[in-house]
Amino acid sequence: MSTAAGRTTHAKAILGPELYSRLSETKVLLVGAGGIGCELLKNIVLTGFGHITLLDLDTIDLSNLNRQFLFRKKDVKQSKALVAAQTAAPFNPNVKITPIYANIKEPQFDIEWFSSFDIVLNALDNLDARRHVNKMCMAAQVPLVESGTAGYLGQVQPLVKDLTECFDCIPKPTPKTFPVCTIRSTPSQPIHCIVWSKSYLMGQLFGEDEDATGELDEAEKQGENAQEIATLRKEAQAFSAVRKALRDPTSKESAARMAFQKVFDSDICNLLSMADMWRHRAPPTPLDFGKIMDESFVMRRAVPAAEPSANGHPPHGAAPVLVNGQPGQHDSQQSSSSSTSGAKVALKDQKKLTLKENLELFVSSTNRLATRLQNGEETISFDKDDDDTLDFVTASSNLRSAAYGIEEKTRWEVKEMAGNIIPAIATTNAVISGLIVLQALHLLRKSYGRLRNVHLQFKPSVPLSAITLSSPNPNCGICRDTYTKVLCDPTKTTLGDVVKGILGQSDREVGVYEDKRILADPDWDDNYERTLESLNVTRGKFLTIVDEEGDVATITIGLGVLPGNHPADGPAFILPDPLPQPPKKVKSVPVTSTPPRASLKRSAPDDDIIELEPSSKRQKSAANQDISSPSKKRRLEEDGLVLMDTANDKLEEEDEVIVVD
Amino acid sequence: MHDSQDIETATTAVATEGRPDDKTRRYDRQLRLWAATGQAALENARLLVISGSATSTSILKNLVLPGVGHFTILDHTEVTPEDAGNNFFLEGPSSIGKSRAEEAVRLLCELNEGVVGKADTGNVAEILDKNPSYFESFSLVIAHNLHPVLLDKLSTLLWSDPTYPILAVVNSAGFLAEFSLQFHEHAIIESHSDTTPSLRIDKAFPALLEYAKSLDFSSMDSMEHSHIPYVVILVRALEDWKKQHDGKSPQTYDQKKEFKAKILDMKLKIDEENFDEAEAQAYRCWTETNVPSDIAPLFDDPQLDSLSPTSPLFFHLLYALKKFAAQPPHVLPLTSTLPDMKASTASYIHLQRLYKDQTTEEKRTFTSFLQVPVDDDLVDSFVKNAHGLKVLRGKKWGLLDASPEQLAEKLSMSPRETSTHLAMSALRASTIKHPDIRPTAEILTSEAKALLPPGTELPEEFSNAIGELVRAPTADLPNTAALLGGLVAQEVIKMITKQYIPIDGCCVIDLIETWTGMI
Repeated sequence: MSTAAGRTTHAKAILGPELYSRLSETKVLLVGAGGIGCELLKNIVLTGFGHITLLDLDTIDLSNLNRQFLFRKKDVKQSKALVAAQTAAPFNPNVKITPIYANIKEPQFDIEWFSSFDIVLNALDNLDARRHVNKMCMAAQVPLVESGTAGYLGQVQPLVKDLTECFDCIPKPTPKTFPVCTIRSTPSQPIHCIVWSKSYLMGQLFGEDEDATGELDEAEKQGENAQEIATLRKEAQAFSAVRKALRDPTSKESAARMAFQKVFDSDICNLLSMADMWRHRAPPTPLDFGKIMDESFVMRRAVPAAEPSANGHPPHGAAPVLVNGQPGQHDSQQSSSSSTSGAKVALKDQKKLTLKENLELFVSSTNRLATRLQNGEETISFDKDDDDTLDFVTASSNLRSAAYGIEEKTRWEVKEMAGNIIPAIATTNAVISGLIVLQALHLLRKSYGRLRNVHLQFKPSVPLSAITLSSPNPNCGICRDTYTKVLCDPTKTTLGDVVKGILGQSDREVGVYEDKRILADPDWDDNYERTLESLNVTRGKFLTIVDEEGDVATITIGLGVLPGNHPADGPAFILPDPLPQPPKKVKSVPVTSTPPRASLKRSAPDDDIIELEPSSKRQKSAANQDISSPSKKRRLEEDGLVLMDTANDKLEEEDEVIVVD
Repeated sequence: MHDSQDIETATTAVATEGRPDDKTRRYDRQLRLWAATGQAALENARLLVISGSATSTSILKNLVLPGVGHFTILDHTEVTPEDAGNNFFLEGPSSIGKSRAEEAVRLLCELNEGVVGKADTGNVAEILDKNPSYFESFSLVIAHNLHPVLLDKLSTLLWSDPTYPILAVVNSAGFLAEFSLQFHEHAIIESHSDTTPSLRIDKAFPALLEYAKSLDFSSMDSMEHSHIPYVVILVRALEDWKKQHDGKSPQTYDQKKEFKAKILDMKLKIDEENFDEAEAQAYRCWTETNVPSDIAPLFDDPQLDSLSPTSPLFFHLLYALKKFAAQPPHVLPLTSTLPDMKASTASYIHLQRLYKDQTTEEKRTFTSFLQVPVDDDLVDSFVKNAHGLKVLRGKKWGLLDASPEQLAEKLSMSPRETSTHLAMSALRASTIKHPDIRPTAEILTSEAKALLPPGTELPEEFSNAIGELVRAPTADLPNTAALLGGLVAQEVIKMITKQYIPIDGCCVIDLIETWTGMI
């Protein structure tokens, strides 16, 4: 190509001929083709990276187009990775982009796969996937540049195992969760009703056919009110009739009314029958379909003693006084992150709906969702960009709020609260992705001294703050482990084969885990005889070997498949050579290493505790779940023992970690 | 999923549901940042961008995506092979030889159908000479690496009348860059300030005071007692304290401690969280509510002395605010946002009502000081944001370099930032004096020294900076362009929407060491 020399002049001048020529050989994995991903893909294509693997599990949505500039309106619903690759590839004829439309957490993306890259760039929007990639990069010893944005704010962090902090060295705030009974029977804030609607009611009506009793069994074990649980259980079972009606084309409009009747009338009446529950809180009012429709519905309302929590959603506690189904006075829009003050141009979905309008929206969205089920969709779950589900959650959460005397929210607000929407704009993503490439170049050049942890901030005086990197947190439950890998046929390899093989000559006492599951400990070795497959320990998963005395670092084994050229009659597994030599040291309580799932089962200890419940027990069980990493402390606590915190004191002695792969 | 449905199906499914149109859906994530007012301002803006360089198109990309109303690219040059290699908004080799403005506009317009883009292949030098009024139709002009002689002319022209467009000057070379905004005056109502307005516990308004005094804490049942809002507890406790202390609030450390202890003593049961909240918030009783120190100086603004019916509404509003604050109790008008607190719904609503009524009352007083009619929504917004108002006064571009003493002072105060700026200025000077010579370290050093008082030592940071310029004096690296595009567009959006506080001065960027700084 005649222009080839000209088009690379700039890049060569700046990167220097050596690094520039190396870039074309560099294999980079870019995880995410969203806001940051689009910008980043453009930058690395133009900078001259030669081999780019681009992975994203998402499809394009209209609301992406205000910043994800590789997509056009005609691309909506297509795979982000595929479209982005098609759009960006022509800008460098020498680039090879491999798009993958998949979830990075799938098993085929194992340590072997991660090891095939020279560098990994994260452009993800959720904590769970970011932590996963961090762990894979730590295990595969591949440098990672981590990033995130929210509105005008952003962050870039380069991560190298044993040299810098990893993503999990600093514990991340866990998402707020609510006790199951707050959600299912005693909501006191709008968010409770929204969570109920999107996570519970949507599932019951349009989700998988399950009796939803597992959650209740768990709640009962945790000591929540037994009578209340029994009522909730009965309530869950009665959903089957409504589910059937929704899937039956002949039931037409009646299904929505049937659903309304069950959820907003009979279920509430059932709860009301438990007088104890309402001794110290305002009882809910069952809703009447006909009366709301003809606007003759009147709320019965005692003076409620609400239970505002310390960290509830604003504005709060202000129950509108409903008269004849019309909300009385309500404040002007108060979106949590944007100022709508002086907004003459109010948006359509920032209008608060009346009780009747909410009911109409409930009926219409239920009908729309029912039609989709009848047309062959098996299950429908909440998606903030799926209007039918958003309408349904808006309407049903507002109806529930009305029944409980809680303030209603606009569709705009519900979207933000239910969808965990983070404001996003092109400018921030552009700055952040520029910074990612700079850090990536430093990493490839091994100029570690130039690596910086960079924040894009709100302060007009210092737009960027760059700080030098910290050393790994000696207590980190992710990057302080000694990683290794075992290639095997899980149908023929036993747990014992792997554990004993890895430990080699050593006869120290260990516990063995897969994620949070305990598979063996010194007094319980039954599983050693079982195959990995029977234990559901397969490709892409990790086995963790924890020293019983805490004297030696934890060994984490990534499981891979046998190489393609492995002889059929060869051994069922291949151990690493040499075997991993975890450093001797005091291994203490690791920081939380897995993101707690947003489950209703768990209670946040700071949430309102209902007097009738044995609260101390519940709090303790919640604390246990937070320590989800396989650790000695956790097990001991489960056994009812309390471990002193002094183990932490010895951690400063951390030696250099030697990892043998 | 039904994301791509047309407007009709999106809006007519059910008349009452208030479903947003496609536009709202497209802009959903940014509307949560700057709201419909900001979006409307953006859509009314007209931008002129001088040059279709990689940096210019990167800036524009970030303005076209969120939906700026109109942009023109003014560029008379043709696409070179270098352009094709570093500018994403050209069509690679097939754009080579075509008009840079036309190619860039065509590709940028693909990003957003709602934006009008225009290519102007005129020569900026000729326009400045023959048709200076050309620039007046724009709201903001962005100039990237414009020839220093032309930049000087352009900035002088745009500075000559306060109603002329704002000028964003952007210069970059390799990994170094700087940019600044030239404007006369920029008044911000919605600064999205982090500070929360006072609850006025120390200066309780009559209705609040009356209410707090009227409650009989001792006759309440335990439920009621544990749900008295902390605001009420504090107003009451402070009132009681003042009675015993000559009408004064707690002054000394010991008094404050005693006051806090008294609050906790009011508890009937140990677990009454509302009294714990009151104790934690007790500082509000001795932190005097007055006009915040950031706002008071605004009242001295010269504009307030010469108000006319045509003066900007902001200053009419500021005048009314000054009058309002001149009255006892010398505070800003109340805003009715009550924070979350332990309370029964009934008591919370009552308290909210008291604040709301007082807010309405004070707004009425405020409005009575206005000398011109002002739209009610604007009054609301002004009052609500009164504690975060901001007035920025800008400088003419290049003013810093005109004063050797000032430059030397900055150089000793912030050597890193000023050195980089000085290197960029030296590069511009050498472009004028030695248009045909690639700049050397010697040339740049002597040009920098010429800007400083005789005998000024150049710090080591300066050699680092010119090293980069000598290596890559004209390189527009795509990655630097991308980052700069983000930073500049961000500030442009702040100026256009008049929301959030933009940079005030010159922003210097070093992407080798990864830092930004202001001088």
